[in-house]
Amino acid sequence: MLRSLIRSAVVLLATVLAAPVHAQEGHPLKGSWIGVWEANKDAGDDIIMVLNWDGKAITGIINPGTDNMKIGNATLDPIGWKVHIEADGKNKAGGAVHYVIDGTLKDLELPTRSVTGTWLSQSGKGKFDVRRQ
Amino acid sequence: MTRNQRNWWFGAAAVAALLLGSTAAWAHHEIAGKFDLSKTVDLTGIVTNVDWRNPHVHVFVNVKTGKDLLNWAIELESPTILEMDGWTRNTLRPGDAIAVKGPRARDGSRQVWGGDQVRFTDTGLPVFPAKLHPSGAAAASRPAPRGPDGHPVFGGLTPAGEGYWTDPSKTALVEDGVDVKMDEWGLLANPADAAKVAPMQPWALGVYRHRQDRMLRDDPMYLNCKPPGGPRQYQSRLGVEFVEDRARQRIFLLMGSGNHNYRIVYMGQNRTTGLVTGDDDNPLYYGRASGKWEGDTLVVDTIGFNEDFWFTNGGLPHTSQLHLVERFTRPDFDTLRYQVEVDDPGAYTKRWSATWTMKWKGGTVPFYFCQNNRP
Repeated sequence: MLRSLIRSAVVLLATVLAAPVHAQEGHPLKGSWIGVWEANKDAGDDIIMVLNWDGKAITGIINPGTDNMKIGNATLDPIGWKVHIEADGKNKAGGAVHYVIDGTLKDLELPTRSVTGTWLSQSGKGKFDVRRQ
Repeated sequence: MTRNQRNWWFGAAAVAALLLGSTAAWAHHEIAGKFDLSKTVDLTGIVTNVDWRNPHVHVFVNVKTGKDLLNWAIELESPTILEMDGWTRNTLRPGDAIAVKGPRARDGSRQVWGGDQVRFTDTGLPVFPAKLHPSGAAAASRPAPRGPDGHPVFGGLTPAGEGYWTDPSKTALVEDGVDVKMDEWGLLANPADAAKVAPMQPWALGVYRHRQDRMLRDDPMYLNCKPPGGPRQYQSRLGVEFVEDRARQRIFLLMGSGNHNYRIVYMGQNRTTGLVTGDDDNPLYYGRASGKWEGDTLVVDTIGFNEDFWFTNGGLPHTSQLHLVERFTRPDFDTLRYQVEVDDPGAYTKRWSATWTMKWKGGTVPFYFCQNNRP
C-alpha cells in the first residue's frame, strides 16, 4: 500500500515537473520536436528533430545519434505557416534515402506547437506529425 | 495515519497546489486580450464589493437592468498603479453610486474595463484622475545633477533626493521616423500597419501579425510572469530606478514591473567576467551588459539574451542574436532620453532604432509583483 502510494506520488510529481515546456518566442521552428512519420520502414515510425535558425536558414538534424540525418533544405512560409523540410539518410542496406516533408505549423502561440503533414521518400510515404518539446 | 502516509498526503497536496497555480497562470492578461476596445457599455449602479488584489482590482456593482438587478465586475488596474494615482482600497465602498463607461469583456460575461472612466454619479467627478499617470505640472527646467566624476547622475539616491523614471512617451517599440497608431499596450489601431513598425524578416512579421491578431493575449509577461527584458523595461508605467554603485563600477536598474527583478550594467568591464564559456550556454532575460560614458551619454552594449520573453510591448519578436546598444542621456533634471539600437539579424533585415523619453518622479520605484490569482 505504502509503496504504491509513493510510486503514485513520484509519477504525479514527475508529470508536473515535466509539464512546463521551455518557452520559445523566437523563430517558431527552433527547438526539439518529437513525433511520428508513420510507416517509415527505413527509419522507423518515431522521429526526433532538432531545428535551429541562424538568421538565414533553418538547420538541424533528424534522429540525433549514429543514424542521424542532416537537414539540407528547410523553409517556413509565414503565409499559411507551411513547413518544407528535406533530409538525406540511409536505409538498412546503406543506400541513400532522400526525404521530403511537407506540413503545416499549428498552434503557433504555444511552446508545444506542432507540425502535421506528410513525408515522402523513394521507398514510401505516410503521415507526419511532430510536436515541439 | 502513519508518518509515511502523512508525508504522501502532504506531497500530494503540494503537487495539487502546483497544478492549480499553473492553471491560474492564465488569469493575468493584456487588457485588449480580455476586453473588446471597440464595444463599450455604459453602466450605473451601486457598489457591492471592492476586491483589492493583484493582478487587477475589481469593483462589483449592482446594475438595474429592466426588472432585474445584475451584478457586474468593473476591472481596474493593479493596486500598485491605482495607489500611484492616489487611490486607496477605501476610495470606493459598498453603497457608493458610480457610473462607468468602458469596453466589455470579449466573452460576453458581465465584466467591463474601467480604465479611467469610473465616476461618482452624484457629482459626475471621476473617482481617480482622468489621466492615470500625470507627469505633473511642467516644472522649471533644472540642470541634471552630476556626480564627482562630472557625469550626469541618473538616480536613484541623488543629492536632490531619491527618484525614478516613469511616464514613458512611447510604450511600444516603433522604428524612429515611423508613424503608426497603437494603444498603450502596443496593439495596432490598424493591423495593416504591421509591416511599418520595424524592418522584420518575413517569419518575424508573420509572428508579429499573429500576436496582434490574438490581441496580445499570449504575452508571456502576463501569462507566465516573464521579466520585461530589453527595451521593455523602459516602457512600463511602473518605472525604472538607477542605482549607481560607482565603487564597484556597476549600475543596478531596478524594475518597478519585474517582480523585484534588476539588471546590472558593468561599467568598463568585460560582461562575461567569471563565465568560463561566455554567454552561449547561459542566455538571460536581461542579457549581459557593459557600459561606458561617451561625454554625457551612458552607452550600454548588451548581448546574451534568451528567447523566452517579449522584448517590447506589442509583441515584436527577437532571437538570441539580439544585440542592443542603448544610449541614456539626461538633458535636464526631469527628463531621461532613451535611445535603443536593435541589431538582430535573426529577426530583422537591418539595424534600426527607437527613441523616447521618461520623466523623473520622486520617491522609490513602486514594486509590483506579477500574481495570477484570479480571472
